[in-house]
Amino acid sequence: MRATRFHLLHMITGVLIAVLLGIHMVRLHLDSILDWFGVDTTDSTSWESMIARASEGIWAALYIALLAVALYHALYGLRGIILELTPSVKAGRIITWSFIMIGIGAFGWGTYVPLHLLSS
Amino acid sequence: MQPRQNYLGAGGWVWAGKYKLERYLYLLHRITGLGLLLFGVIHLIITTFYRYRGEGVWESAMSALSNPAFRVGEYLVAAAFVFHALNGLRLILQEFGFGLGRPVPPIYPYKDALRKKRRWAIAMIAVVAVLALVLLGDFIAGGP
Amino acid sequence: MTESSTKQIAFKVQRYDPEQGDAPHWQQFAVPSSRGMTVLEGLIYIKENLDSTLAFRTSCRMGICGSCGMLINNYPHLACHTQIEEFHSNTLTVRPLPNLSIIKDLVVDLTPMFNNHKSIKPYILRQDAQEMENPTAEFAQIPQELNDFLQFAYCIKCGICVAACPTSASDRLFLGPQALAQCYRYCADGRDEGQQERFSLVDTDHGIWRCHLAGACSEACPKGVDPALAIQLLKRRLASQALGLRKKQQPSSVVSPPAETKPKIPFPEFTVKGSE
Repeated sequence: MRATRFHLLHMITGVLIAVLLGIHMVRLHLDSILDWFGVDTTDSTSWESMIARASEGIWAALYIALLAVALYHALYGLRGIILELTPSVKAGRIITWSFIMIGIGAFGWGTYVPLHLLSS
Repeated sequence: MQPRQNYLGAGGWVWAGKYKLERYLYLLHRITGLGLLLFGVIHLIITTFYRYRGEGVWESAMSALSNPAFRVGEYLVAAAFVFHALNGLRLILQEFGFGLGRPVPPIYPYKDALRKKRRWAIAMIAVVAVLALVLLGDFIAGGP
Repeated sequence: MTESSTKQIAFKVQRYDPEQGDAPHWQQFAVPSSRGMTVLEGLIYIKENLDSTLAFRTSCRMGICGSCGMLINNYPHLACHTQIEEFHSNTLTVRPLPNLSIIKDLVVDLTPMFNNHKSIKPYILRQDAQEMENPTAEFAQIPQELNDFLQFAYCIKCGICVAACPTSASDRLFLGPQALAQCYRYCADGRDEGQQERFSLVDTDHGIWRCHLAGACSEACPKGVDPALAIQLLKRRLASQALGLRKKQQPSSVVSPPAETKPKIPFPEFTVKGSE
């Protein structure tokens, strides 16, 4: 049942990404829609705007959650594509473990930066 | 005598014959997925390393990225995300057999379940096209 | 009744002879074709009149044995089931099925497909091993239960779905749509109790989850078996098991044949009296 559980997680993270990334994209880019909602649309990519967002707990939580689900979904998908090109079972296991390492490393680094900035 | 290998390899993902809609939706889903992954890696590097190094580096990076060529790239990423998300939702439903109907004894001319329910896939593509046009409108109208 | 006109159709056939040692190459033949002639008849004409070294498989010539699967104009068909006229073209390209090794000319090695098929245990499995090996009675099954899997039982093992599948194209360890569809056919059969065993065979890294619903297998299947539907229904079973939602299904009971037969209908009177 292991492969089935991983695949179900792939689908659940897909739905979560659609929601979280949608929020992220609307906040950052869709000025016309946001104006209609009455949100302050000063330049979202400026330093001040980004620091303001990073200091708010809700945005930091959103970014960390988005990073986790996006990393899992993307790396599981890429692992699937690479396994389809790998005829050996042993090489497949090595590939799976390296993806797990890369995922944990990227998540650790990606979470460290906003938390570090949040506390400073 | 060893039989000769005849695998299409990864070329078989792209082209192996005159297949219909769902085969090419699968290919487009793969391409958008890999494109989004590539963008995600670059985005992660920029928002972590460049942020870490302080305001000056961040602002210069942002102004470099306001270049129109990058804006087109951003639009493509947004459109790819819309397609991948909606096709993904269709796949989640159909991979668990929802909306595919029951098995029926085959009577010629055969119509498989995906073809019978193709109107759902077409409806999804229509929604993707509409959203992509909305995004295009926003992109052309300007932005940050 | 007008005579059906014959046209010269150019058959571009991919030739490959391992004993000659050269790479696969094209050879062109001019075949007189008339209305209603199938590609298989064209190949038999070539073999009988033009080049008797052309190798291909054929048996029933009516679309039921599954021998003559080939890539005709870049799409997998059964050669006996495909008319030359349906392409509306004076040139036909005939190649062996992809994703299966070529033995010679148009003959491919179907052994990997058969091995995958055997590996998913394509037979009824019961808990009661004694009853399975030495049956004493029948398994009860009503027609509604039969309809749940009958469509997938029509598979003729021609290999066209394997040739069409993009995952089979790159992944040599993939089970293939044929094996996965047959796995569902047996899991969905009410008489079978081997679902758990088969689940552990398909729930692997190169098993059912490498299917991405490209749908080419169902599109190309010459018998309308719809392996894609079978695979997605099998995914549903696996997912409901993983989530713990599976209802325990009672397998078919063993029913002895009735002890009393119904009273026989009386034999009707002869309407024509014989000469006696």
